[in-house]
Amino acid sequence: MGIKKPFSCTNSLYIMVHSHEGGTRGIRNPPGPDEARPRSEVWPGHYQLWPRAQSSVLCADPPARGGCRQSWPNGQCALRLSFRTSNNRPPKPYSDPVTPRVSSGWLSASLLFLLLSGPLKDLCKPEDMKVVKDCINITRSFCDLTHVWVNTTDMYVSRVVGFREKAELVNCMGSFFLESDRPLDPPEFEIVSFTNHISVNVKFQSIDPRILSEEELQFYLAFIEEHAGNSVKRYQPQITGNITENFNYVIDKLIPNTNYCVSVYFEPKDPRKINRSPLKCTLFQPRRESESSESATMGGIITLFLITAVFISTVMILKRIGYICLRNDFPKVLNFRRLSVWVFPELPPLEKVATVEVIHINRKKKVWNYNYDDESDAENEAAPCVNSGGYTKHGLTGRLCPASTTSASLEDCSDPNAEEPYLPEPKGDAETPMAPGPGPWQSEGTSGGYQTRGTLRQDPTSEEDSDSTERSEGRIVFNVNLNSVCVRALEDDKDSEVTLMSPSRPEETVVLEDLNETESSLSVASEERTQLPFTDPSMECLRPQDAPSDQSDTSESDVDMGDGYIVRQVNLKKFN
Amino acid sequence: MTYWCLFQMVLLLCFSTTALSRNYSLLRFQQRRSVVVCQKLLRQLPSTPQHCLEVRMDFQVPEEMKQAQQFQEEDAILVIYEMLQQIFGILTRDFSSTGWSETVIEDLLVELQRQMDHLEPIQKEIMQRKNFTTGDMAILHLKKYYFNLGQYLKSMEYNSCAWTVMRVQMLMNFSFLKSLTGYLHD
Repeated sequence: MGIKKPFSCTNSLYIMVHSHEGGTRGIRNPPGPDEARPRSEVWPGHYQLWPRAQSSVLCADPPARGGCRQSWPNGQCALRLSFRTSNNRPPKPYSDPVTPRVSSGWLSASLLFLLLSGPLKDLCKPEDMKVVKDCINITRSFCDLTHVWVNTTDMYVSRVVGFREKAELVNCMGSFFLESDRPLDPPEFEIVSFTNHISVNVKFQSIDPRILSEEELQFYLAFIEEHAGNSVKRYQPQITGNITENFNYVIDKLIPNTNYCVSVYFEPKDPRKINRSPLKCTLFQPRRESESSESATMGGIITLFLITAVFISTVMILKRIGYICLRNDFPKVLNFRRLSVWVFPELPPLEKVATVEVIHINRKKKVWNYNYDDESDAENEAAPCVNSGGYTKHGLTGRLCPASTTSASLEDCSDPNAEEPYLPEPKGDAETPMAPGPGPWQSEGTSGGYQTRGTLRQDPTSEEDSDSTERSEGRIVFNVNLNSVCVRALEDDKDSEVTLMSPSRPEETVVLEDLNETESSLSVASEERTQLPFTDPSMECLRPQDAPSDQSDTSESDVDMGDGYIVRQVNLKKFN
Repeated sequence: MTYWCLFQMVLLLCFSTTALSRNYSLLRFQQRRSVVVCQKLLRQLPSTPQHCLEVRMDFQVPEEMKQAQQFQEEDAILVIYEMLQQIFGILTRDFSSTGWSETVIEDLLVELQRQMDHLEPIQKEIMQRKNFTTGDMAILHLKKYYFNLGQYLKSMEYNSCAWTVMRVQMLMNFSFLKSLTGYLHD
């Protein structure tokens, strides 16, 4: 299959032919005899046509570097492209500085330069380049090519020819692809010195987006050079993300009291050709800033301390008033956390339980006539006198027993034959209201003179008639409130002894002398322990007869009231 | 039940459209970044086109490559993918005569492959549901263009000037890709 002959700059140079044998090969035209065919060192074995040199002057740079293919003794030739931007005007490309050096002896006169340029697509040979109008026979070393290089996506080739007196001394060419090869002017930036670093703020908004877009900016990173004395340190900041306006870079690890100068530039195409910005310098003095930082640190510490103190005091106050952390000291019975409590609930401790029979006794009111004569019978029974205060007066018969606190002696003293009224023992039949007592009355012979026989006392203030005729083993038990009792001693009965006991408590038993019927005025108060003693002026008092007083600790005073009654006042000192 | 399936399909289409549209912004950013990287790598390959003026040829560059604004988003993606694929094919050929760094070439190939991986899902989806548009003609012209490049390299026996010419063509291609990427809207 034949291949259509493509367009070629030099059809005479390469002709594409097809071959049935496979593949194609190009046929090179043999060079003319008069044509100079300098052989490039870069492409050995390849023939290339170059414009015939008009002079014997050669450029020092090899063709690979864009320099002249002809060497120039003691001289250099290079084309450099640069852009200068302004805020209002578009960038103006121009080729800069051809800076040929001339030796003093060989070239004394100034050179005139000629610039040619053109798009690559239109060039097949260097002669096809067109002369730039504003750059003909110029002595300056630069030329504005804005009106020539209109398409940034094309590659342009330029050529500079320098000559003197019609002798070509300089001949340099270079190719430029504007979109990727255009150099970038350094961006604007500011430097600020801080306590321990220097901040470099690069302003990217000064760059025309037509020259460098945001995406490209990331790949043509700015370099920052730090100059301190004779040392130069270069930084290449890593730009991440989209940058719209400014980019900030921090230079730390600096020496105090040192002057630092910073320069910013973009990554050049040719590392040897760096377009640096002017240096901006600052003196790094961290001491002044450190003082303020120290004071700020101290203030911060003090503030933190105050806040902590306020917080702790607030917590303590709230705890004191019980708003928080309220202690709940519940009794153990309310402690439900123990599983054993739920599984095996503890039984409350058993309380002592005593069985008490309440016997209610209905008694008839009687006047007891106590006859202490041994032969007396029931008729000698004294009818109890009931005073207005509610006390029951009992006339006792029989021999009085000495003051004894034991029940055994009381038993001895008791007259089994006398129908002394006594308080019945609980038989289990009667029902009397249970008076609240100090405790269960279980045993006999307790201390204090109490006769505890499991007997509930009858309320003396009650108007119930009590059956006092019951006997219990021949004992007579009375509770006399001696604070309100006047004891009268019988004159006839000399054998009888009247022993006046002053019980310490109203419950203490007292064995009193039997009295006459008319003169019996014993008042026996069988009352509760808690009942307070009182004096009843209406009570008749007894007249004691040689009453032995073995109550040595009691003081007694007798007042003869006449008519056989004495008032005996007993001061209950010991027993109270 | 049928209406429920239809409703789900409609929702899926809407979400897929939304997802695709959202991907364009990311795709645009990725594409631009890839172009810049490739241009930087190409700059590292030394060449002097002014010395290879005589061996230039007219490779019949498609006219569509001169006007990027005429492409729609889907056509632009197809064109971009095709160009990346063709450049990748060219760079895999023999460049030993140029003295270029193999590392730079490998980096170029890696970058091209990465960008193609990003575009491939969208390109396949577009190809499945796309009707005949102007994008298809542009792709045909591109195929012809790159074929000429390959043939030129082959005829020049992969010499340095040929590769210099190739480098110039690739620089121009990437410039076109850069401008075409800018027309990928959200």
